[in-house]
Amino acid sequence: MARMNINFKNRVAVIGAGLTLFRRRMYETSRELAWEAAKQALDSAGLTLNDIDAVVFGSAPDAFDGIHMQGEHMTDAAGGYMKPYTRVYVGGGTGVFTAIAGWWHVASGLFDRVLVVAEEKMSPVRPHPQFVFHHIFDPVMDKPLGVNLIWIFALEMARYMYKYNIKKEDIALVSVKNKRNALDHPAAQVAAEITVDDVLNSETLVWPVQRLDISPVSDGAAAIVLCNEEYAKQYTDTPVWIEGVGWSLDTTYWTNRDLAFPKYLYYAGKMAYKMAGIDNPRKEIDVAEVYDPFDYKELHHMEGLQLARKGEAPILTREGVTQRDGDLPINPSGGLLGVGNPIAAAGLMKVAEIFWQLRKEAGKRQVAKDPVTGLAQAWGDLMQIGTVVIMRV
Amino acid sequence: MSVWDVFNGKTRFLEDNMNVDKFVYTLGHGYEKFFNGLKEGKIIASKCSECGVTYLPPRIYCEECLSEITEFVEIKQNGVVLGYTIQNVDKDGRHLKEKVIWALIGFNGVRGGIFHKLVGVEPEEIYVGMPVKPVFREERKGSINDIQYFTKTV
Repeated sequence: MARMNINFKNRVAVIGAGLTLFRRRMYETSRELAWEAAKQALDSAGLTLNDIDAVVFGSAPDAFDGIHMQGEHMTDAAGGYMKPYTRVYVGGGTGVFTAIAGWWHVASGLFDRVLVVAEEKMSPVRPHPQFVFHHIFDPVMDKPLGVNLIWIFALEMARYMYKYNIKKEDIALVSVKNKRNALDHPAAQVAAEITVDDVLNSETLVWPVQRLDISPVSDGAAAIVLCNEEYAKQYTDTPVWIEGVGWSLDTTYWTNRDLAFPKYLYYAGKMAYKMAGIDNPRKEIDVAEVYDPFDYKELHHMEGLQLARKGEAPILTREGVTQRDGDLPINPSGGLLGVGNPIAAAGLMKVAEIFWQLRKEAGKRQVAKDPVTGLAQAWGDLMQIGTVVIMRV
Repeated sequence: MSVWDVFNGKTRFLEDNMNVDKFVYTLGHGYEKFFNGLKEGKIIASKCSECGVTYLPPRIYCEECLSEITEFVEIKQNGVVLGYTIQNVDKDGRHLKEKVIWALIGFNGVRGGIFHKLVGVEPEEIYVGMPVKPVFREERKGSINDIQYFTKTV
């Protein structure tokens, strides 16, 4: 396979990462959260703000934290004072897309060292963020039905179960695994030792989606530091290279999507794999953080990324392949289901986790195998974008 | 088709609003110190021990170096007018019976300032650099309105 489908000037390394606690309601302001993650990332890389040439910031809808032009509100806290500063926003896909935007800042040769920060504070909006989500739908076609965001997931989940004859018990295993993995994550909000029965007995919200199938609403922030090869060699003996990036959008009309298979991710994955020279993702990806706001989405996304054949992800999960000591560990961090889901921050947390896994700095979360190549992925916009980053040591 | 055709019955439209009841904004650790200070009739800033920059309102991090700021200091309340404007109409476009003077107040050695009302000064006599001071309310509850207004220093 041709190795490159995008022309770029510089190889890009991740050299530091930072993360705040993920919690339902944080007292810290959006700015204070972003600063904490940014500072941690700089410290971990051994850099100061003076070393940073540009800042990329990501967060999801302004209507969550109730500050319009929220990205601009955050400039000082994210380290962007008097620097070239960019905010990116692609809904739930933002966290990983922030890393992609940081990547092209450096890959293009425009900047040498870039600080990438993602933050979300979902708690200010009352009664609940669901009221904001309602307004992503078509205002004349869908909204008059009183449509709720979970409807989309319920339709997808039901369609996925029907098409591949998947049992709810097998999907529930994802929630059990991720919440257990998160017990070893110091930032985790909803880590727990639960059983499949706990999931199956939890309240049904919109069938087949039940309470324990869903990640929580959260506040939190994450950050990474990127630089070009020349600086990476100066700063660290253990850079983690971003070898491939990809993103792709499916149709905005949710009636027109293949609900059983995430095509948006198939194409985003293909782009990233081509760049990274990966022919067989199932064999060449050692560890992956795939987007898991719902348990079935981990399975969906594994298949979209060709980490499993269509309908095969539940089988791999049942056989323990996706456990930390398995052949293909998926979401060793605990994912959104266990660590929490401050939207943009959750996506960048996944990039940070792969960074720590590949550097073997994940502590109790470290996967058993010796990982060389890892993948982080998120999903968002109007449930139609896939964002992918492939990293290698 | 013009939107006015809507009223001629030529097309239909739907109305909706963002059904958000409210937003609950936390003060955070920096602003909390500021508002607690106002309650006590004080103006509190924060000072970066690395760069020496003093921030008003106080932040828990330095925008110059991103260091954590843990030092909170009470500043002298004598300020100066850095800029001002005179409000003639309210946000609905209605003329005000009494004009309102709004000023950005700066303090010596401090980065930032306070934007507030200026009272007891005639528009003709204001100038940039004019010394002013805050007048606090008797009853204070930790709000920017604990300062009733700024007025000229006699």
